[in-house]
Amino acid sequence: MAVPRARLLELMKAQCQLFSTTFNPERVRTGNKILRQRLRGPALAAYYPRKGPDLLDLQREVDDLGLLVDNDEADDRLEHIAALKLRGKSAPKKKKGPSTESKHK
Amino acid sequence: MSMFRSKKFDLGCFANVKTIRDHSKRKAFEAFEPERQALRYVIRNTTLPARTRAIAQLQLAGTHCYTRSTQIRNRCLMGGKGRGILRDFKLSRFNFRLQALAGNIPGVKKASW
Repeated sequence: MAVPRARLLELMKAQCQLFSTTFNPERVRTGNKILRQRLRGPALAAYYPRKGPDLLDLQREVDDLGLLVDNDEADDRLEHIAALKLRGKSAPKKKKGPSTESKHK
Repeated sequence: MSMFRSKKFDLGCFANVKTIRDHSKRKAFEAFEPERQALRYVIRNTTLPARTRAIAQLQLAGTHCYTRSTQIRNRCLMGGKGRGILRDFKLSRFNFRLQALAGNIPGVKKASW
């Protein structure tokens, strides 16, 4: 015994109402698939570890208290640069102000 | 692109221009993802007028390339290399080998039988 299509549709509609799903007998593409997708951005953006506080940040924090943070690495670097400067081997001075000629033309 | 780069350096791993660029792309993608998904929804929704969908298509095509997920590439956290990356460890195969042999990666040991 064949059931008429209209009756089947009614059943489907009732089903959809009952279980609060979308009634879409023509199978029209509504793009709901896109809305169901989860956002991938937060997971992708968390790939690289972020920079935590370092000794320079600590120095900045305690500057008001008049404290000095012992930063061996930075001291070594500054010492090295000072030595280079004495020998005239350091980096040239930065230009002051914006240059008149633009590189990107 | 420089407008997507963070004003303050915020990478806590090996950084060269390529990793910084990739990081900027990831953050740009994260910021624009809801907008992209909305446009994609409008485009795929056949119940909307064709004109609206066409405009959405043009808008999506006109977004900056940094907001696309296809621009993102996993890079090595220790050397910035872009090829031969083991996804589970975020390391290139050679850096992975060095770290594994040094015992820095828990649960990984050289196979021998």
